[in-house]
Amino acid sequence: MLEKLSSKPRQWFATWLARRLPPVQRIRLQQRHIFIVPTLTGAAYAGSLVLMLLVAINYQNSLAYALTFLLASLGLLTMFHTWRNLAGLTLSAAGSTPCFVGEQGSYRLRLNSHKRDYQAIAVGWTSTQLQLLDVPFDTEQYAELTAQGLRRGWQQAPRLRIETRFPLGLFVAWSQIDLAQTLLVYPQPLHDVVLVTAGQGDNDESEHANMSAGVDDYQGLIAWQPGDSLRRIHWKAWSKGQGLLVKQFTEQQGQQLILDFDQLPGAVEWRLSVLCAQVLKVSQTDQSYSLLLTGQTIGPGVGTEHLKHCLRALALYGVSTP
Amino acid sequence: MNAAHIRKVAEDIPRISLVWLLVAQVLVIIPHVLHVPLWLLGLWLGCAVWRVQVFRMRVPFPNSWVKAALMLSSGFAVYLSRGSLVGLDAAVALLITAFILKLLEMRTRRDALVLIFLGFFAVVTSYLFADGLLAALYSILPVIALLAALLGLQQSSFAAQPLLTLKLASRLFAQAIPLMVLLFVLFPRLEPLWSLPQAKEQGTVGLSSSMTPGDLADLGQSSALAFRARFDGAIPAQSQLYWRALTLPHFDGRSWSISQRLATQEPQWQAQGEALSYSIIMQPSTQPWLFALDVGSSEQADIRLMSDFRLQRSTPVNRAYQYQATSWPKALRQPQLSQMQQHEFLQLPRAGNPQTRDWAQTLRQQYPDDNALVAGLLQHFNQQPYHYTLKSPLLGKDSVDEFLFSSRRGFCAHYAGAMVFTLRAAGIPSRVVAGYLGGETNQAGQFVQVRQFDAHAWVEYWQLGQGWRSVDPTFQVAPERIERGVQDALKDEVDLFQGDFLSPLRYQHIAWINQLRMSWERLNHSWQTQILGYQRERQQAWLKQWFGQVDWQTIGLFLVLSAALIIALLVLWMFKPWQRQSDPLQRIVNEFQRVLQRRGFTRQTGEGLRSFWQRIRTDLPEEQQPAVIRFIELYEQQQYAQQLPDLVVLRRALAEIKK
Repeated sequence: MLEKLSSKPRQWFATWLARRLPPVQRIRLQQRHIFIVPTLTGAAYAGSLVLMLLVAINYQNSLAYALTFLLASLGLLTMFHTWRNLAGLTLSAAGSTPCFVGEQGSYRLRLNSHKRDYQAIAVGWTSTQLQLLDVPFDTEQYAELTAQGLRRGWQQAPRLRIETRFPLGLFVAWSQIDLAQTLLVYPQPLHDVVLVTAGQGDNDESEHANMSAGVDDYQGLIAWQPGDSLRRIHWKAWSKGQGLLVKQFTEQQGQQLILDFDQLPGAVEWRLSVLCAQVLKVSQTDQSYSLLLTGQTIGPGVGTEHLKHCLRALALYGVSTP
Repeated sequence: MNAAHIRKVAEDIPRISLVWLLVAQVLVIIPHVLHVPLWLLGLWLGCAVWRVQVFRMRVPFPNSWVKAALMLSSGFAVYLSRGSLVGLDAAVALLITAFILKLLEMRTRRDALVLIFLGFFAVVTSYLFADGLLAALYSILPVIALLAALLGLQQSSFAAQPLLTLKLASRLFAQAIPLMVLLFVLFPRLEPLWSLPQAKEQGTVGLSSSMTPGDLADLGQSSALAFRARFDGAIPAQSQLYWRALTLPHFDGRSWSISQRLATQEPQWQAQGEALSYSIIMQPSTQPWLFALDVGSSEQADIRLMSDFRLQRSTPVNRAYQYQATSWPKALRQPQLSQMQQHEFLQLPRAGNPQTRDWAQTLRQQYPDDNALVAGLLQHFNQQPYHYTLKSPLLGKDSVDEFLFSSRRGFCAHYAGAMVFTLRAAGIPSRVVAGYLGGETNQAGQFVQVRQFDAHAWVEYWQLGQGWRSVDPTFQVAPERIERGVQDALKDEVDLFQGDFLSPLRYQHIAWINQLRMSWERLNHSWQTQILGYQRERQQAWLKQWFGQVDWQTIGLFLVLSAALIIALLVLWMFKPWQRQSDPLQRIVNEFQRVLQRRGFTRQTGEGLRSFWQRIRTDLPEEQQPAVIRFIELYEQQQYAQQLPDLVVLRRALAEIKK
């Protein structure tokens, strides 16, 4: 519906909406939040009622009158039913799933009902792409709204559209809510770049690893021994019946990998993307690594938490936290 | 994502909706079975099975060639079985055909919507064929099923209980009733905007414009209702209730028929004696003439008194029709007749029935006075061995001769016809009058119910200065027919309701069944007058009674205001604001306040929890303090942190305080 408006009134509407419905984390939909208009179905319904009325008039048929009036009254009353099917519903932001630039992240939306059953609630970004869910009495339901990561950093969610046409689809009650949701977008990883720039060298006392040694440059396969990480098992070989072999990497002998932003040449975004890819690569191994960003050191560490930490730092590099 | 279900707008039809659509379709079609071609049922069955198989992914949707072929052949079949594609019958058959075929084309929600709207329309058209109380009550079923289908279209796919959908649809239906009643009463009844083909009554029985004696005997077998009459005063005796429908002055040797050149001039008559006032609701007769006692008149604009004293409406009565009439039974009718008119009422075929003609001459010589001749003739019927029966033998060319002199068995039409023939042969202007006699009195309902088997024919002859006088030869033969009705007169001979085992009329001798039947008739009568008869005149009268005058502006205002009131009440009931609960966080805080209030600490309005705490902490017993401050801290965290309240933790903290 909104899409059809030309840009100027649309902008005006957006401003008006922003004033009327300022961003909140949690909202209980009430009178001033909900708009209601007849749908195309409603118009068709009204049209058929007019036809039925003509039959009633021309045939002077009381029952035809009665049915026409019944359906008209019913249609009118569904306006209140539709409105009621949104009123009192509580919406709140329930976090988001970060993503890389160009990929799909998602905002999580929580819907609570404290009053009654809500049926066929549709949520989404635009009126053409909605997901339908029911919110039974005294429950919480979650909806996941996907969005593409566009730029590194915090990405503001657009106003979300919540609407319902229940019960008969003759009216649509809708609202556009800004839940002030944000999505963390990581830099787009650049996997294909092979780093050849040497660091301080192997012999350096600070034990900085040479980046060019590459975590994926494994030396070869050796027989598995109890105590070796399962992650490093070469499953392909095992499936071919060659027995359990373990991938052997050069840097694994007590060495620590340091990924240093300042050591990289090039533009900021490019460097962040390369580092992002490297972090992802290293995190596939048991290798402990640390990330050096200007004025910020993360790690050394291993594991998912550490990875998240690094990715977050990369995503927010030079970005002020909201 | 535990419950969200992604669905594009306007795609396939939910199962629940499909289920209800199929049910609704059966329910919509059932009342049409009586007037649509029967092969449509087969078509429906085929289409329904096909559609279900499509849903089960056993077969594909028909392609456009198949659809086009189906559409064309069905249209052609309707044409073949109805003889045309215009007219109400054919139009409804086409509508039902479309309604059925649309099933095969139903892929998206939009198609389903079209089907549902077609369904509502089909229900409306069913009212044109049957608008009785039962038909109306029945039609609630398809309407609710259609609503359930419409509802199902909107429901998410989690809703999987068809009965819940039905319940919701019924509730919507019930809520709409008060507003519907208001609109029904107050919405102005307009004159038809243009004329439309009318429904042909299925096998309408009734009097027709010509009568051979056997016709009335056939009518005598039918227990179909002809009309009901409600008298403003006491109901006259059975033998007084001669309901005139039309006169049949023309005889062609076999049958009596209405005059072709009947002038529409105003008849001359003088009201005499007491008047009777009554209202009549007649069943559709497809004829323009109405029923009234002599001499009837009506003030309704579309009703005229014709020159033969029958009441006639400007258009044929194709639907149940109600009118008000007043009669003067003792009125003097047409004391003067022109030569031409007299000639018309003396008309006889040139030849035929010579025996009767001779006999008339003999009577003429015997009784020079007309009135004496009539009396003599009646006496003849009384004294000779005539027999009143529905089963008269087939008569030959000289039917009157055969009847009067050999068979002497016949129904009222035989007697009336033979008498008029004889009178005319004797030179007395006379005519056959066709109508109904008597009727069944419903004591509780204060009305008389006249059925087709009450059809009757009697005789009128004319005397200068005295006008038309009615006589009934049948009375001479079978007085019980006149006094107690045809059922009584013929009780030995025929079972009037042969083949109609379920007809409650069969069981009149069982008191409670008869009682039940009478009540049902009464209900039907009210239904016809109050609901079906609620048309322009009735509405005007009703509005006058309530509003003093029919001023549409006032009524419109009243309509809007009372609709607003009804809606307000309904909305109030829907939202139940008295049950309104604040959000759960607030509920917990309220309970916290109540707990402390019970211990003597009242939080003032507008007082923050923190300052409340500051105020009461000194008075609070030491052992209670940690629990209270813990709750307040938790609450503040929840309130101001950008996270959702963890109600469980808060509730637990509250429980701590209560200990």
